[in-house]
Amino acid sequence: MNFATRSPRRTTLLALAVALTIALVAPAATPVALAGTSYQRISGEGSSWAANAIDAMRVNVSQFGITVDYNPSGSTAGRKNFLNGTVDFAASDIPFQFEPEDGSAPENPAPGSYAYIPVTAGGTAFMYNLQINGKRVTNLRLSGENVVKIFTGVITTWNDPAIQADNPGLVMPARAIVPVVRSDGSGSSAQFTQWMIAMFPSLWDDFCSRSGRAPACGFTSFYPTIAGMIAQSGDLGVAGYVSQGFAEGAIGYVNYSYALGSAFPVAKVLNAAGYYTEPTPENVAVSLLQARINTDESNPAVYLTQQLDGVYTDADPRSYQLSSYSYLIVPTKVAGQFNEDKGRTLGAFAYYAMCQAQQYSASLGYSPMPINLVEASFEQIRKIPGVEVQSVSIAECKNPTFSPDGSNVLAENAARPQECDRQGGQSQCPNGTGGLSNVPTAVSGPATNGGGQTPGAGTTPAGGSTPSAGSTPGGVTPGAGTTANGTPIAGGDLGTDGAPVIDPDNLNPGEVCDPDTGVCGVVGAPDDGGVTGGVVGAQSPTVLAQSSGWTSSIAMMLLVIGLTLGLVLVPAVVWRHLSRTEPA
Amino acid sequence: MALTTLPDLAAAEAPVPRELVARKGRGDRVFFGGASFSGLVVLATMVAVGVFLAIQAADALSATGLSFLTTAEWQPDRGQFGIASVMIGTVLIALVAVAIALPISMGTALFITEVAPQWLRSWLVALVDLMAAVPSVVYGLWGLFLLQGQLIGLSRWLNAWFGWIPFLDVARADPNSPLSSASVYTASAFIAGVVVAMMVMPISCVVMREVFSQVPMGEREGAFALGSTRWGMIRVVALPFGRGGIIGGTMLGLGRALGETIAVLLIISPRFDINFHLLEAGGNSVSSLIALRTFESSGFGLSALMAAGLTLFAVTLVVNFTASWFVARSRSGASSEA
Repeated sequence: MNFATRSPRRTTLLALAVALTIALVAPAATPVALAGTSYQRISGEGSSWAANAIDAMRVNVSQFGITVDYNPSGSTAGRKNFLNGTVDFAASDIPFQFEPEDGSAPENPAPGSYAYIPVTAGGTAFMYNLQINGKRVTNLRLSGENVVKIFTGVITTWNDPAIQADNPGLVMPARAIVPVVRSDGSGSSAQFTQWMIAMFPSLWDDFCSRSGRAPACGFTSFYPTIAGMIAQSGDLGVAGYVSQGFAEGAIGYVNYSYALGSAFPVAKVLNAAGYYTEPTPENVAVSLLQARINTDESNPAVYLTQQLDGVYTDADPRSYQLSSYSYLIVPTKVAGQFNEDKGRTLGAFAYYAMCQAQQYSASLGYSPMPINLVEASFEQIRKIPGVEVQSVSIAECKNPTFSPDGSNVLAENAARPQECDRQGGQSQCPNGTGGLSNVPTAVSGPATNGGGQTPGAGTTPAGGSTPSAGSTPGGVTPGAGTTANGTPIAGGDLGTDGAPVIDPDNLNPGEVCDPDTGVCGVVGAPDDGGVTGGVVGAQSPTVLAQSSGWTSSIAMMLLVIGLTLGLVLVPAVVWRHLSRTEPA
Repeated sequence: MALTTLPDLAAAEAPVPRELVARKGRGDRVFFGGASFSGLVVLATMVAVGVFLAIQAADALSATGLSFLTTAEWQPDRGQFGIASVMIGTVLIALVAVAIALPISMGTALFITEVAPQWLRSWLVALVDLMAAVPSVVYGLWGLFLLQGQLIGLSRWLNAWFGWIPFLDVARADPNSPLSSASVYTASAFIAGVVVAMMVMPISCVVMREVFSQVPMGEREGAFALGSTRWGMIRVVALPFGRGGIIGGTMLGLGRALGETIAVLLIISPRFDINFHLLEAGGNSVSSLIALRTFESSGFGLSALMAAGLTLFAVTLVVNFTASWFVARSRSGASSEA
């Protein structure tokens, strides 16, 4: 079939078809032509610890036409998929593991194909769900050793003398502790186990052997579990489990922001100075002054990575031991599906993340980056292929850590812990923590009688919050509500640290604190403008779940009933069966 | 005077059957070709999946050999891995799911075909189909955030009264203590099984409804004519006629339950020891293990996951083939195939 031999009619048809095709394709092709001015969509994956911060950035850059997809499936999955080339960038709490200490397969990125950008800082918090006489405890304190013992199954009940000693003002209940850990490969697990190994190596080694991991007992992204532990996927899974009504006695490790989002308290952890502290953005900033950042720019495999031993032993009374940085891992070479157009988007996103986003990260529960790391990150961003280099004036970033003299203002101005948070006192601070920082818990000195609690004393939420404090940037709004009986509900969380609670309505749909998952279900509607809290007193005292168990007389009774039924029914059934099959 | 002539009958005495030549038109040929092609594609896909899994799994399987079936641990990078615990977990979840889904789906199918008035019937059919169309992650979230809390009471009751039956025992649970943690009853194979049952139910129900609707009208009317009640008719006519469909539908559901991933992943707390205690926290399933670990593994670890997938593939295949065999062998199934 030669074109020349075609009939004129055919040729016309062909021309028509071509014209039609062009007409159809042309509109679709236009955006491609405009690609020079708009941003190509990019996707990232990784840390769920940093996910609340990254999600806020993601949402906020959309105003510039930048679309970033982020899947908080865990640091390990993020690094793996970055290596596989299925995502454009990864977020990870720990760097690539060239020589994993837990026996897992080594990760081998091509040298010089990636760079680390420290994107946010925060504390790994121990969020817990505990009530005493029907009132939620919000001021639990734990020494590091007790934290390790809880998460290694050595301490199994809340009234263990060691925990009681940490909490002289509380009468700890005889409830079982349910440690909730991560089931997926997680940077939080890695940071947590790294801290355990540094601080309490023998406890960790013992746990490692008991859980069948020995001899590969280095720090691990895959937390070993033993009977009695619950493993959940992602920070959201852990926070979701701990905040359920049935999970009383549970304690899990998540980023501080998740405790704020779930309106749940976190444990204050004892630091080297003898104070029990909470991972507030200020405390994290103080702690991370002691982090040793690798400054060997010639070795991109380690440049800007963190060494946290100094944080663990920091003698500042404000420090929180489990503070750490989380990183973006960005490609520095065009490869696979990553091209310069995507590099342009990634660069713009990274600039936003390092500059503007740091303004509001504290309101989410993260700690803003100090100036030296922001400057180093700007240099790292230049390595992304296709990036449009911006000359950012750092003062314009309005980063709360910056000051004209270069010191970290946030850390300098961080408040000293209260004296009642000091180890060895007669009692402890009643102030709430985490997402319930304005819900104090009644405390008593150890001298009072065993009754301990004075009902009602702790049920009035601190009036400290100012509900009309106005909206804060970054999709975070403090809110407050009032129940029918006039009891103020803890809404806006502007208590001790000035960090408002994350409004569930303004978060990414995946990150929403489900009103059914915890206290929210008890008080108020989910859409009353804020995370509802302050449930102290709203819940009935401990109910006898199963007052009568299995007794022998009941067993005998059931046995008799069963035998009688069997005696009556079995012959009849057998007879009928036989009589039916016989004729056949 | 013969006005008419009769045809000579003798001449046509040896009747030769007319030759039947089916001259397929273009449409017929296209359709035949298309249909057989699609059939072959299905077959080829199945074979390709099996071959792919086998090739990918070869590494891991050759490294462990038969101990792959008996090891409970899952640490492939250290050479200690096997499907003993995950396979048992998978089967337990699937059995719980089927045990719950079977009576519900059978009851629903019978209600739709035999009892419900016509206007309700179409509504129910649409609703059951809708249940089948709900994505499994929705079931998972529903199970995680709503059902789990509601089921704890049942788990606790079962454990308190029937804890002496070994697989209903819950370690660390103390029904007599008001301060005992409800967590020991959560994230269990039982709760995962209940959620999976909700996903299995519509599939089983559709098969059973199909079969019950084919019960011959004559037999049905006959039973009524002989004075049977509706229940009597269902018992002597519908149920025996639909036996193949009931078994087949149940086994199709079992096949789905074995492979259910995301709902199980969301609910269960993974553990890698052999755990027969249905109500106790922690369990595992092959598909949720694969979903959890695929993006965190590389090389050998991935091969180990493929080996687990291959095992699940084989088991599911056997279950589904058994199901279709039952359906085909039964009266109802045979009539529908003819």
